[in-house]
Amino acid sequence: MKKILVFLFALLIAAPAYAVDGTQLLKQIDRNLNPESYELYRKLINVEPNGRKMEYTFFSVKKGLDKLAGVFLAPASEKGRSTLRLGENMWLYIPNVGKPVRITSLQSVIGGVFNNADILSLDYAAEYDVEKVEEKGNEYYLQLKAKTKTVAYDRLNLWADENKKLPVKIECLTEAGMLIKTLYFKEVKDFGGGIVRPSVIETDSPLYKGYKSIMIFAKIQQRDFKDEVFTLTFMPKLESLRK
Amino acid sequence: MGKLRTLLAVLVALLISSVSFADEEYKFDISEIEKKPYHIGGYVEFRPAIFWLDNNAALYKLRFFNRDEGKTIEEYNGNLQLEGSYEKGIARVFALVNGNLTYSYQGWSDSLNLFEGTLSLKPSNSLAIDLGKKTQKWGKGYAWNPVAFVDRPKDPEEPDLAREGFWMASADYIKSFNGPLKTLSLTPVILPVYEHINDEFGKINEFNFAGKLYLLLYDTDIDLMFLVGGSKTTRFGLDFSRNITTNFEIHGEFAYINNFKQRTIDEQGNVSESKSDAKSYLLGVRYLTKTDTTFILEYYHNGTGYTKDEIKDFFSFINKSYETYLSSGNQAPLMKAQNVAEGNYSRVNPMKDYLYLRVSQKDPFNLLYWTPALTGILNLNDGSFSFSPELTYTGITNLELRLKGTANVGQTGDEYGEKPGDYRLELRVRYYF
Repeated sequence: MKKILVFLFALLIAAPAYAVDGTQLLKQIDRNLNPESYELYRKLINVEPNGRKMEYTFFSVKKGLDKLAGVFLAPASEKGRSTLRLGENMWLYIPNVGKPVRITSLQSVIGGVFNNADILSLDYAAEYDVEKVEEKGNEYYLQLKAKTKTVAYDRLNLWADENKKLPVKIECLTEAGMLIKTLYFKEVKDFGGGIVRPSVIETDSPLYKGYKSIMIFAKIQQRDFKDEVFTLTFMPKLESLRK
Repeated sequence: MGKLRTLLAVLVALLISSVSFADEEYKFDISEIEKKPYHIGGYVEFRPAIFWLDNNAALYKLRFFNRDEGKTIEEYNGNLQLEGSYEKGIARVFALVNGNLTYSYQGWSDSLNLFEGTLSLKPSNSLAIDLGKKTQKWGKGYAWNPVAFVDRPKDPEEPDLAREGFWMASADYIKSFNGPLKTLSLTPVILPVYEHINDEFGKINEFNFAGKLYLLLYDTDIDLMFLVGGSKTTRFGLDFSRNITTNFEIHGEFAYINNFKQRTIDEQGNVSESKSDAKSYLLGVRYLTKTDTTFILEYYHNGTGYTKDEIKDFFSFINKSYETYLSSGNQAPLMKAQNVAEGNYSRVNPMKDYLYLRVSQKDPFNLLYWTPALTGILNLNDGSFSFSPELTYTGITNLELRLKGTANVGQTGDEYGEKPGDYRLELRVRYYF
């Protein structure tokens, strides 16, 4: 009996040493998803309930915590349309209009379930605090709270693979806990350069019943950029960054 | 008509071929993102329109004094906008051409314009130099831009259309910082005006210099601009844009125009010129609701505009000239009115104070790719207004369909009351390639 009590007491003391640091875990998840500075090609597909689909090809670049820019390559109607995120500022440039206009993260420049926050997403650790972290089977479960009111989704419930430390599913919620959308991370792929991450993100939303949006990743690689790339004046020239 | 039927048939065929359905597997072929040094693209457009005429309106009499077109006129427009670019090293050549074929009450007409044509050199991400025909599109206003000193004026009823540029040399120098000032960029412009080169800009045989300084300061876009030279009088400007909250944006412009020359005509037909320093300004907001409804509201003061009495005098002169034509066949007074109107009274929104409101709803009732919108322009000086409901559908790849109506409402002597047409209905079918 004494031995059992000593064993249990030792476990009690030792348990905190094995508790997961939620913030560190979230930062690791971010780095496993992509380098801090990178270039990336994505295909965004909106699927309607009748099966009809619309596809968009998007080239984006990121630097550091809060600099993101992207330009549509296809279809022809969207080609040249670019977006820029600099901290909490976001702009959209349409070639015919010829000058950038300020937009919000809740809007969607392409329609469908994905919005600007999903397409121009910063590191989760940059926008969210970890309120709770649990181990559930072979997954981590994190509850995240937005650091500021300007973040698109007030709360996230994130499930991550325990071994790979990559997201499996993320629920995006309002402050009141209403589900806005769910992101499903699928088909882990080796992109080279040490980047092994889900290559497909599927999204559905109770607000758009029957609709689905899919993001397919191709050619993500670490790359450094000058700060001047992430400016309003450079927006019409973003495509020149492609090699 | 045969040409337009062919154009419509091509558009329908393209429409049918654009509809795609989901496969079980979603593919992303790496060859889709292979970079090519060249690009050719653009759109083809079919735009029929019908106008309901106001036979009592002064501007109807000015345009149609010697023809009877009945109560309505139809117009069939075919447009082709083509752009191409080629890139090698730090150099890039770009051209944007706009072609138009129209069948109207005046018969067939066509035009082909080089909207833009530039050679760009980009030695680094901080510096770019452009030589050729180009637009600058200065200003933060949606419907009006009093600070767009080196651009052609835009139509507030179609603010998103591409416009023809001017021949110029310009540069963009960008510098980024940490701290409250995040970005600074300088855009100097040289704009020569000679016969056949920018002669629509202003007085010919003159050199003009313009420039813009952009700052992103405390999360606010701020621009300072100027224009000096011989083709137009000196002018200075300022604009800003900032998000007050994530879904509420405020913007404004201010332009000071030195020694602006204005031509006026009284109801007897006496033309006079006056010069004064003019101040034009604009203040606007954009608000996005949780249900994706966008409101754009702008107030515009046009310092170079006409007063209510000046516009009334102009319309009175037209009416008197029309009576003279009817009684004696003498067209000279009407020709005089047309001449004075050119560049003065015929400017878009030629009076002093306006209010613009546009309300658009994205994906109403969760119907993806549908966007209904309402646009109103109110002349605050005389109370007349235009009102345009529209419906756009973009649910087929590369195809945009838009049905738009416009009503001009006003009394005799008012800006919108004296427009040649009371109503317009237009369908725009645009296919991008």
